[in-house]
Amino acid sequence: MFKQKTLEETKAAQRRSTGQSSAASFYNNPSVRSLFYQVALIAGLLYFFGNIIGNTLANMEATGIKTGFDFLDSAAGYDVLMSLISFESQDTYLRVFVVGFLNTLLVSAIGIVFATMLGFLFGVMHFSKNLLVRKLAQVYVELFRNVPLLLQVFFWYFAVLASLPSARQSLSLGEAFFLNVRGLYMPKLVGGDLSEWVWVALGAAIVGVFFLRRWAKARQDATGQQFPVFYASLGMVIGAPLLVALLTGLPFTIEFPVLKGFNYFGGISVIPELMALAIALSVYTGAFIAEAVRAGVQAVPHGQTEAARSIGLREDKIMKLIIVPQAMRVIVPLLNSEYQSLVKNSTLAAAIGYPDLFNVFVGTALNQTGQAIETIFMTIIVYFVVNMVISFLMNRFNNAVALVSR
Amino acid sequence: MNTFKPAPDRAPPSQTVGPIAWVRDNLFSSIGNAVLTIAVIALLVINIPPLISWAFLDANWTGTTEADCVKEGACWVFVSAWSNQFLYGSYPEAELYRIHLMLLVLLGVIVSSFTLPKTIRMKASITMWLALPVVGIAVLDGRMLGLPVVSTDLWGGFTLNIFMAAASIIVAFPFSFLWALGRRSDMPFIRTVSTIFIEFFRGVPVLSLFFMGSVMLPLFFEQGTNVDKLIRVWLVLIFFMSGYMAEVFRGGFQAVPSGQYEAADSIGLSFWQKTLLIILPQVIKVSMPNILATFVMLFKNTTFLLIIGIPEVVQTLQTALANSFWLGGHALEGYLFVFLVFWASCFGMSVLARRIEQQMNTDKRA
Repeated sequence: MFKQKTLEETKAAQRRSTGQSSAASFYNNPSVRSLFYQVALIAGLLYFFGNIIGNTLANMEATGIKTGFDFLDSAAGYDVLMSLISFESQDTYLRVFVVGFLNTLLVSAIGIVFATMLGFLFGVMHFSKNLLVRKLAQVYVELFRNVPLLLQVFFWYFAVLASLPSARQSLSLGEAFFLNVRGLYMPKLVGGDLSEWVWVALGAAIVGVFFLRRWAKARQDATGQQFPVFYASLGMVIGAPLLVALLTGLPFTIEFPVLKGFNYFGGISVIPELMALAIALSVYTGAFIAEAVRAGVQAVPHGQTEAARSIGLREDKIMKLIIVPQAMRVIVPLLNSEYQSLVKNSTLAAAIGYPDLFNVFVGTALNQTGQAIETIFMTIIVYFVVNMVISFLMNRFNNAVALVSR
Repeated sequence: MNTFKPAPDRAPPSQTVGPIAWVRDNLFSSIGNAVLTIAVIALLVINIPPLISWAFLDANWTGTTEADCVKEGACWVFVSAWSNQFLYGSYPEAELYRIHLMLLVLLGVIVSSFTLPKTIRMKASITMWLALPVVGIAVLDGRMLGLPVVSTDLWGGFTLNIFMAAASIIVAFPFSFLWALGRRSDMPFIRTVSTIFIEFFRGVPVLSLFFMGSVMLPLFFEQGTNVDKLIRVWLVLIFFMSGYMAEVFRGGFQAVPSGQYEAADSIGLSFWQKTLLIILPQVIKVSMPNILATFVMLFKNTTFLLIIGIPEVVQTLQTALANSFWLGGHALEGYLFVFLVFWASCFGMSVLARRIEQQMNTDKRA
């Protein structure tokens, strides 16, 4: 009791004697300051956004732009160059949105697959014992990484693909694949009766491979015996559908593209816009992935290779079992961001007229409806979501390859 | 007494030294490598000579019109006839000295911020950099200096790409620093706002930002305000760039050892003294290679201005290719030229970044 009283009295005396310092200590108090800064920021932001929203509403009223998402149900009234689902110009804007979204997914998927292949090929080539191969990898990376992607898209579209021969003089491969200025034409597999069972068999084989790998690993952990997983998987994935196809009497016909008049019909056709964009995206992103692979392999200490040699592993086993799993820890996070920027860069479709989401929606739909805010935000959200999915999958993959520390 | 005289060293086997050994080690170390070498050489032999004869031997170098391109090979006349457009857009020819002046000033500022005496370097270069965009607009536009006015729709070409990139990074620099500080802050609201800002501008396709700048931004201003298109695009580039650079700086902040913060605290520096005098110089030094890499990305992305109709270099090339006097198909020459110009500048910058990185590595070892 007595002590406490003295303490309070002392404090009070201090406060009395230095009248200014109590005021100073008030605004020097970190928590008061941080509260002040944050309130100021909130007030500033509220004022800023209030102003913007007020102006926007006034502007839109003045120019007669409608708001809301009603336009999604009205007929678009324009055609789309390429669509994976059926589309006519009388369909709604919502369907335009879906068509564009699928086209974006298509070009991104093609880009990711080929960029990864190119990237790993050239990244590993960097460590070749062959000087020429090494230099080739360097030239590839430095050449394509340092030139704007837009320029590369134009280069492939206007300078390379546009100089291909006309349909009658098509470059052809075995009378099945045709390449001309109108695009690439490939044979198509058309399934007849019972053909769906072949796809079922393929799916079952892939699931089977998954379980086979688990079983083989468990057995090796328990007994040390190795099982030829790769060849067995290959046999299953190829063999099972083939067997079913033979049993059901080969229910497939191959549809070849045929020249009729000025163009090829039938089969699968790839428009030059898609080709140019896919090539440019793959080559550009591939150069970045090659750098990521190089960084990953270089990050594995050389002692790992030496240790592996000292226990008598073969060179190919060293690469597969020692180097690559450790390099993947560095490579996967980099791959994640490269994939995401590839998806974002696919919006360059707008420059050459490939009908991706950005082009058909922010390009054409915005022009026709004038509803800038709705269309742009719907599109942006799609790219956010796609990138979040990529990030989620790659993080799962990353957890699988990450160092498990005890 | 016999002293021991060692016999002279025998020469190494002739196959392990000299050019033969080099060729064997680097080109023919195994059967697979030998096959690869021969394949690559064959590829080069098939492709290089036609390319050389197209680009140099059979090429047309002199002339002013398409009719001067009589030989088989490349028509470089196309490039030389349009070179003013490619470099300066439609900027009036009598005023081109202003662009050259600004290029020189830019170069001067870059050089002097590395070479000025250390006592004044920091303050002088910060002042120069911040003054640069203002001076640039004053000189290029001419209004403020009483020179003939060159309106922004005449600006264009490769120099526009350079100026836009430079002007954007300069303004984005302090902003991105603030965003990075905000993201590291203890204050929850400031941290949230900074994080949302950074992630938004990093997560959105750049093109959609440009569309926002050209279509949505005018809606945000009060009615009747007419903001120049180039300024709107500039704003977009600044925001985009500061989102990316904020992350670069955040990495830099994390790389500065915490002892530096504690030491600054212990000698009683205030927050801003600590941040600006102790931490920031180290952050900039650590993140220099990444800043350059981000700048290269920004520089490449200035080509996207074409999508909203600004005559940067690729757009001027497209215009030239569509010109009715030059319909002979010069796409390859034009694209190769612009390709080369961009490649040279971006490759130069990435080499510089690598050199800076190496220098810093040796610093650490010493």
